[in-house]
Amino acid sequence: MKETLKTLYTLVLLTIMVSCTPTPENVQQSNALPPIYPDYCDVTIPENIAPLNFLLRADCEAIEVKAGDIKINTKGNQVTFDIDDWKALMSQVAGNMINVTVTALIDGQWIEYKPFTWQVVKDKVDPYLTYRLIEPDYEIWNHVQIQQRCVENFDVNAIGHYEQLENRCMNCHTYANQDPKLSMMYVRGPGGGAILNRDGKLSKLNIPGSVYFGFSPTGRYITYSTQKIVPAFHSLASKRLEVYDAASNIYVADMQEHHVISSSLLSDSLKFETFPTFSPDGKYIYYCAADTVDLPGDIKQLQYALVRIPFDESTGTIGSQVDTLYNKRSVCHPRISPNGKYLLYTVADYGTFPIWHPEADLQMMNLETGAIDNLDIVNSQRSDTYHSWSSNSRWFVFASKRDDGLYGKPYFCYVDKDGKTHKPFCLPQLYPSFYDNNLKSFNAPELGKGKVPFDMEDVAKVMKQDYVNFK
Amino acid sequence: MSVSICRVMALWAVAFFLFFQFWYPYHFFFQEQNQIFLCSWDYISSYFERSGGLARLTGDFLTQFYYYLYVGATILIFCLLLIGSLLYKALENFKISKAIVLILPFVMMTFVAVCHFSTSYRLSSTISILGWTLLLWFISLMRGWKLRLTLMVVSLLPVYHLFGLPQLKKIQMPDLILEKDFAIDCEYYFGNYDQVIKMVENEDRWTDQMLFFYNLSQAQRGELPDNLLKFTPNYLGTFEKIGPDTPMLTIRNMNELYWALGDITFTERAAMMTNVFSHNNRNVRMMRRLAECNIVSGDSLAAEKYLRILDKTFVYSKWAKNIRQNGHKIYQKKMQMVNQRDTITISDNAHFLMMQLLDANPDNIVALDYILCSTLLLKDITNFKRDYDRYCIETGKPRLKPLYQEALCIWLAGTNAPQEDWEKYIRRADVFQRFQQYNQQRGSAQFKGTYWYYFDKIKAPEI
Repeated sequence: MKETLKTLYTLVLLTIMVSCTPTPENVQQSNALPPIYPDYCDVTIPENIAPLNFLLRADCEAIEVKAGDIKINTKGNQVTFDIDDWKALMSQVAGNMINVTVTALIDGQWIEYKPFTWQVVKDKVDPYLTYRLIEPDYEIWNHVQIQQRCVENFDVNAIGHYEQLENRCMNCHTYANQDPKLSMMYVRGPGGGAILNRDGKLSKLNIPGSVYFGFSPTGRYITYSTQKIVPAFHSLASKRLEVYDAASNIYVADMQEHHVISSSLLSDSLKFETFPTFSPDGKYIYYCAADTVDLPGDIKQLQYALVRIPFDESTGTIGSQVDTLYNKRSVCHPRISPNGKYLLYTVADYGTFPIWHPEADLQMMNLETGAIDNLDIVNSQRSDTYHSWSSNSRWFVFASKRDDGLYGKPYFCYVDKDGKTHKPFCLPQLYPSFYDNNLKSFNAPELGKGKVPFDMEDVAKVMKQDYVNFK
Repeated sequence: MSVSICRVMALWAVAFFLFFQFWYPYHFFFQEQNQIFLCSWDYISSYFERSGGLARLTGDFLTQFYYYLYVGATILIFCLLLIGSLLYKALENFKISKAIVLILPFVMMTFVAVCHFSTSYRLSSTISILGWTLLLWFISLMRGWKLRLTLMVVSLLPVYHLFGLPQLKKIQMPDLILEKDFAIDCEYYFGNYDQVIKMVENEDRWTDQMLFFYNLSQAQRGELPDNLLKFTPNYLGTFEKIGPDTPMLTIRNMNELYWALGDITFTERAAMMTNVFSHNNRNVRMMRRLAECNIVSGDSLAAEKYLRILDKTFVYSKWAKNIRQNGHKIYQKKMQMVNQRDTITISDNAHFLMMQLLDANPDNIVALDYILCSTLLLKDITNFKRDYDRYCIETGKPRLKPLYQEALCIWLAGTNAPQEDWEKYIRRADVFQRFQQYNQQRGSAQFKGTYWYYFDKIKAPEI
């Protein structure tokens, strides 16, 4: 019903726009790229992506767009592609470039902007994206949702919804190996817990204090961090919020035997350990560790290094040697590509909450050569963080605040066969003005190979069940 | 419809219009301020994601015009009259007993009107009732029960989808105290500080909300210390802390306090939190404030985010345009007050925040008066003296308000200070003279209004 209505509204809108739309005449050429939003100029996109609808940041009366065989002529400043035409275009040009020309009628004059390109690659991005929608000030929430979006079209459904869950806080839906049949998310508050999805069967786990986590390749183990999270405030308005851990440790939970495995190396009282993740071969746990400092006073001295410790999946034992891989600035969120070749992480000047750090950038380490790429083409002047790989290791998604410094949006970046990253693009929306009107951050985006086999009703039901307790 | 029924309905409408317009107008303004309606396709389409989309869309669309005088009451009475008339015609067509036909429409109109006594009762619910009444009227136009039944069955689902189910409220009396709170809040919002002061001073009962805006208005005229003891117990708002259980109105008030003090970090935080708890998690007043905050803090990208949203409103698009062009000029003074040095704190303790603001800018009189008055309300003379020394003596800018002079007398007397200290702090001979008189008649009612009397006789607020 909802989809039918949306299509109906779109048709009405298109009919209104198409009727009597002026066409370009006496066109004036411009050397500037069109001021389009989201910025889709010269980006690399997968052939399975939804239409890159956009708007022109100009007071224009009409707009004409030519992209490959598609020609759109519409009133106003918003360009919306027909999804069937778009899909046909994508399959036709996969592996090649499309030239896009934008001509706009501004103050009675048609202006043709400098054309730009879309590089369409055959490497597909995983079709589903889950994320949490929450106000950027994470201290107090209301109406939180975890949504699942098909990036091949505009279908969205909630897998955790405030209406079903007594308006509780929820966070981090994470897959094992981008597999929708094995994933976990948290529902907070009294009676809350970790909701494990195994082949669509949900269970509620009582894993003590678990916050950030990652599955082992076989799915038998998760490594997770526990932390005492403290929100703090900067007096300088531009810096806003800071969040730090008053204590944090890392553990491994055996999901089969339901017990917790610990190591003194991962729960050192003189260190903060956080953001654990397994390597794709399951032989290491990568994480971030910092020496404790006086907080909040010495927050700027809080520097997390990127480290790893061996793990034996066959016996469930943690190794005894911690290797430091990178210790310049403060590292967060290490994530290894599924092919084991690249390690993507965030670096900030200090601390463990890069979301409000404008200087927070992504870096990528080649695990075969140790070379570090600063990803200049990927990063922006605002926070770029919380990333997740596509199962083919050719794409990653990350949350960027580049547009307004406040609201995180999912951006997709292509990594070609030579390991070179391309200019990222923002998750397309049906209505180009969606992001302008939206007042929620897309938090913790995660890519999945398919649609998860449960919905918000299932989560609400499992919340009423008893816990599976961990020893 | 007979002439006599029309007359009775007209009378009813006039009576309720007069009530809503002249006894309850600020409730409309409050509702308008706590929502936002955007003229944008993606926003409008979001209304239809749940049932009742047309009712909510129409309700929110019309509510934005509550900003204008007379419009709120007019829209509401028009909707109620429509409900009453349609119901009357429908019942008449159904040939129901005359008494019911005459009484039921008035009962219905009055019930819905009474629901609107509550601030949380939205116009969309009334539109929803209107939608269902419209269906009833359509059905009543059909001849024969088969046709009527068919139309009803066919229409139920679409009408439910468009109009949903109306919210029903427990019947309550009009909250005229809350109306006064809203009136004062509204006058403050428009910068009518004299009007706020006049309204509060003319009251014989004061709520925290009234006192809060009274003090805020006085502070911005530099007269907070002159009026602090006019009302006891008083309420400054500086002892509030925002948490998950803090009422939305308090968070909204804190936003006004932080803005007046010049703490942009906390203004923005309170604005975002107010949004979180507003209808559809957004409201137009905070949208304006967020744009203002970011202009003051120099974050033009963030300011533009909110200005673009306001561009799509009917009422505030001109404001957004003006702020975009002249914001730096308009907020120049505020920009000079903001923190320049970065420190980090885990608490929203207002005393600490005000100290930071005064360290950055000792000329911030609003912050200075609030910090000094807050400690004085608590009878915390030691900290008052410390802050007075730090921001009035060490800066060479003594603030010689009688309230402060009186409090300093207490500290000097309590510490057996030497003559030179009395000379250093007490610059007003009249205060010194009265203090000597007070000491001879300690607690006497003729010293009501002095800090000495407050210190000895009035209970300090508990925090």
